[in-house]
Order: sequence, then C-alpha cells, then structure tokens
Amino acid sequence: MGLFDRLRFKDRRVLVVGLDGVPFSLLKALSAEGKLPNWAKLLESGSFKRMNSVHPCVSSVAWATYMTGKNPGKHNIYGFVDRFPGSMDVFIPTSRDMAGETLWEILSQAGKRVVVINVPVTFPPREVNGILISGFLCPNIDKIAYPKEQASVLREMGYRIDVDAWQARNSLDRFLEDLHLTLDKRIEAMFHFLEREEWDFFQIHIMETDRINHFLWGLWEEGDPQYGPEFIKYYQKIDAFLGQINAGLEEDTQLIVLSDHGFCGMKKEVFLNYWLQREGWLKFREKAPKSVKDIHQESKVYSLIPGRIYVNLAGREFSGSVRFPDEYERIRGEVKEALLGMRDPDSGEMIIEKVLKREELYHGLHYNEGPDLVAIPHNGYDLKGNLDKKELTYKGPLVGMHTYDDAFFYIRDVDIRRGNNQFGVMDVMPTILKLIGVPPPEDLDGQALL
Amino acid sequence: MERGFTVWFTGLSCSGKTTVSRGVAKDLMKRGLKVEVLDGDVVRTNLSKGLGFSKEDRDTNIKRIGFVCKLLSRNGVVAIAAAISPYRAIRDYNRQEIGDFIEVYCKCPLEVCIERDVKGLYKKALAGEITNYTGVSDPYEEPLNPEVVLETGKETEEESINKVIRKLEELRYIPPAEAPSYSEEEKEKIQKRLTDLGYI
Repeated sequence: MGLFDRLRFKDRRVLVVGLDGVPFSLLKALSAEGKLPNWAKLLESGSFKRMNSVHPCVSSVAWATYMTGKNPGKHNIYGFVDRFPGSMDVFIPTSRDMAGETLWEILSQAGKRVVVINVPVTFPPREVNGILISGFLCPNIDKIAYPKEQASVLREMGYRIDVDAWQARNSLDRFLEDLHLTLDKRIEAMFHFLEREEWDFFQIHIMETDRINHFLWGLWEEGDPQYGPEFIKYYQKIDAFLGQINAGLEEDTQLIVLSDHGFCGMKKEVFLNYWLQREGWLKFREKAPKSVKDIHQESKVYSLIPGRIYVNLAGREFSGSVRFPDEYERIRGEVKEALLGMRDPDSGEMIIEKVLKREELYHGLHYNEGPDLVAIPHNGYDLKGNLDKKELTYKGPLVGMHTYDDAFFYIRDVDIRRGNNQFGVMDVMPTILKLIGVPPPEDLDGQALL
Repeated sequence: MERGFTVWFTGLSCSGKTTVSRGVAKDLMKRGLKVEVLDGDVVRTNLSKGLGFSKEDRDTNIKRIGFVCKLLSRNGVVAIAAAISPYRAIRDYNRQEIGDFIEVYCKCPLEVCIERDVKGLYKKALAGEITNYTGVSDPYEEPLNPEVVLETGKETEEESINKVIRKLEELRYIPPAEAPSYSEEEKEKIQKRLTDLGYI
C-alpha cells in the first residue's frame, strides 16, 4: 500500500456482514441469474473473490481464525467439540478457550469503538470498548451481551439466539418460519445498534444462511418444486438486507461481506469411528459408548467430528497406549493410507480426498491440542464423529455440508491484489486493521489483502 | 504458565503468615498451578539448619529462601515464602533478584500476636529466656510499599486469602476466576443444539 492509499484508508470505519456458510459460487450464480439485484449492484464496484476456509472446515474454527488472524495452533479452537486428553472429558470450546486477542479487542485497545453481533465462539462475551452480543453457543439471552444491560434490550425486542434445528426433521415449513423470524429479529437488532451507537467497527453475523443450507440445499439443488423456491426467496431476503445496508452507508465507511466456508450437497454422512472400529484401530470398554472417555486402552486411534483423527498416545491420552515417536508415526501413516482407500459401500466412490498431518496445518502454542491427522472428504461425504453407529454411511435429513475452497470475500470500492483462492479467512483481520489504521500485532498468521 | 512468581509473606511471629500462605497455596493448586511453600520454621530445620537469630544469620536465611524462590519462579512454579523476614533491605534485595515478587504484609498488632503465642515463644522472650526475638527484643521493619496488607487481627482467614488471590488476579499473575461457561443444564441445551445441527 502506497502513501496515498495509507492516507486514504486512515481512520475509516468498517462494517462487516458475515454470511455463515454462503458459497462464492452460489452468490455468483444467483446474481448472474438476476435473482440478487442488490448483490449484483455491489459487485459493480468492489472486489469479489473466492476465499479458502480452514481445516477442519467448521464455523467455530473458521470464525476463530477470522477474529484472531491466526491459525488454530495459536487460537486453540479446533471444532465445536473437543476433549481434554488427560481425562478424556469432552467439552464445548467457548471464547474462554480461544487464545489470543480478537480483532475487536485489538481495536478496543486502540481506542476504537466496536459493535459485534452474533459471531460464533464469542460466548461468553469478552470485554470490548462497545457492545458485543455473542452467538449461538449462548444458552440464555440473559448471558448474551457485554455490557450485560444490553440483554434486556434484546429480550424486549423478542431477539432469537438461533433457530430450532430439530424442527427441520419434523416440519420444514415450521423450520422455514423459524428461519424467517430469527433473521428478522437479527436484522432488527442490527439496525437498533447501528442507528443508536457510535462505532468505528461494526459486525453483524447472519447464522441463518448456514442453517438453511444444511437442511434445504439438497432440495434446492434437486429442483424441489416447493422448497427450491423457498430457498431462493430466503437468499432474496438477505439480498434486500444487503441493499438496505448499502443504501445507508456513509462515505467514510468501508463495507465488507464475507462467509467462512462454502457449501455443497451432501450425499451421505460417514461415521469414521465405526470405520476405525471395523478396521481394528478403535475399541470401547462399554457396549454403548457415550463419549470418547469410554475408549479402551488398546485403541490406537479415535475421531472427533469432522474428520479430526487423534492417536491414543501414551503420556497424553488418559488411556493412551501408542508410543511416541516410532509407533505414533507408523500408525499415522497406516491410518492415512487406509483412509485414502475408503470407498462408499453402495457406489464404490472414493470418500476421502486427502489426509493432512497436523504439522502440515498448524503451528503455535496450542499445536499439541490439535488433531494428529485431518481427513478431508470429497464433496458430498460429511465426516461424523458418532460412536454408536453400526454402518459406515447414512443418508439423513441433513442435505448440505461445508466446503473449504468456496468461501467468499467482498469489499466495496477497493481492489484487492489477490486472485481467487490466493488467500484465506485468516487474512481478513489484518486487512480490517489496515483499513481502520490500527497496527497489527506481530504474531498474526494472516496478511493484509491491501 | 511459562514463568512463575513469588508471593512473599512477611510479618511478626504468630501474625498468620503460615495459615494464610497455605490457604493461598491450596487455592492456586486447585487452579492447576505448580506451587511450593517455603515456610520459615520448616526452612530452619533443613536449608538453614544451624543458623541463629543474629542479624547476619537472619539475612543469610532470608537470602537462601529468596534464592530458592528465584529458581522455582523462573521454572514456572509459584513460590510462596512465609518467613518473619524482619529487615526491609533483605526483602527488597529478594524483590530485585526475583523480579516477579508480590510482598504480602501480615499486619497484626504485637499484643494480638503475644496473645496468640502459638509456640509459647513470646512468653519466653518477654521473660528474657530467649533473646533477639522479633517484636520483643529485635526490630521488625514494616514494608513501605507491599502489594497486599492483611489485617490479620481483624480479617477472617478466608478474607485474607481472598485478598491475596484478588491481587494476583488484578496483577494478571493468574487469570481471574470465573464461573464455568455453562451450568449442567445449559451444557445439555447447547449440546442438543449442536447435535440437532449435526455438529457433534
């Protein structure tokens, strides 16, 4: 960035709209078909690029990577569920487990005022200079906000933390109703704060796009006469919302819209722990194991969703029996090779595209907390961590799954110098710091796109 | 924790150093920290065995304790010293040597300490049976700028322990204690939410 750019970007305000799980390719296709007029208008002046996510490709890991600008080896969030190897107790990682300062904490320290709404892994809300409304890992609206008093505003508004995904299994109509109402409330809350608060950085996160994708993507893709149009209608509501934001933006405000991962249709769920048992690498002490705590000492390997493979390592795992380094390396090699040969029992298709060792993905203080291997499936096969399954694959109500290479990044009125997939979600945070004119911390992994 | 720190309790005999320091140690251990307590009375039976109560011997004793605290602190251990350490200059010397040093002054009126007289030594000192006894026949130099002052004559044991812990949190030597993110009921609710989404 040259001197003039620096002057130009100095003291800008930034508004970020996060659209969880919305693929670059979907927005591109729908706007080309003329279905998203506001989005199409935004594309006329700005950079719209296909962006890489992270491994494993789930929202908690991707947004933690976004907000810290660091790889999971540094921020310590590897999934929606994790285990303490010393006890094998299972827990849900929250903002307290996330190491390092977030974008909004760094901005706060620089004296900037922030408003952040609904970003995953921000519960419990950590202190900021401004307002933080945490996301769907919050169990109770009373605990959702920093400062606490903001919760009452949301309660009065009828704000909804998340949709009830269970409904999708019983009635897609009721699920859709819930999706619309939740989105309406999210937008209402956003404009409430946008209009009343002073801010230098504002972020609204729309989780509902991920939710509709999980349960309606496949139906839309297959051209379902009822739910296909409903799917499009929902995206048009998002489009109108973006138009409304864009119309109200002041000159000094930079608009960024992004997603954390892509989506594709799901053919089948794949139960890796069943497969590990079948292949003789995993054994349980109980007939009906409830958690990884029940694994037998003779186990060599176990898996957590999605595709995270852990060696049952002596000295690390409570019931560890595999010796480091020779046996550990041998087992990692064998499991990797076997995974790459795994086939769909019905169609004969290959299930796993690649298997990465943790040293290929992570580095940092929390490197040791990460999985020993990460299996990355071919599109259509979603890797699950269930312990009680008696078959390798299953076709259930979930019809969409995440993809790594089809997230998107949009910035209005700015040319970014990287091509499609030439950057990732961790590069966005230093970009925003640069736009606002706050120097980045030295230990970031991401690099500014300007 | 990569680096430890030293919590140094100073004060008259029977002013509550041992009691409060053990309580603090217990609390820190519960938080998963490695903790070692160096109690003056215990140290004099091994590390400083043979040393008397002349100023020179007292200084040597306190420097030895300080040296061990320094080694522990730099290896990620929380070192807790509980010793009368009556001379300001030597305490300050240890502070300089150790760096991450939190001085806790157990401030208790002499009368209260005499009344407590757990070891019966005040009685002997007052009767002149033992000499060089701090507070009676030897000086105690109060700290000028301790991180924590405990009014152990007025506070309960629990209050004193909490004061030290809060200060350690405030100085960011330890992370603030927080309630867990979820109650059991809330945890179930979130687990169900994640299960319904196929996330766990």
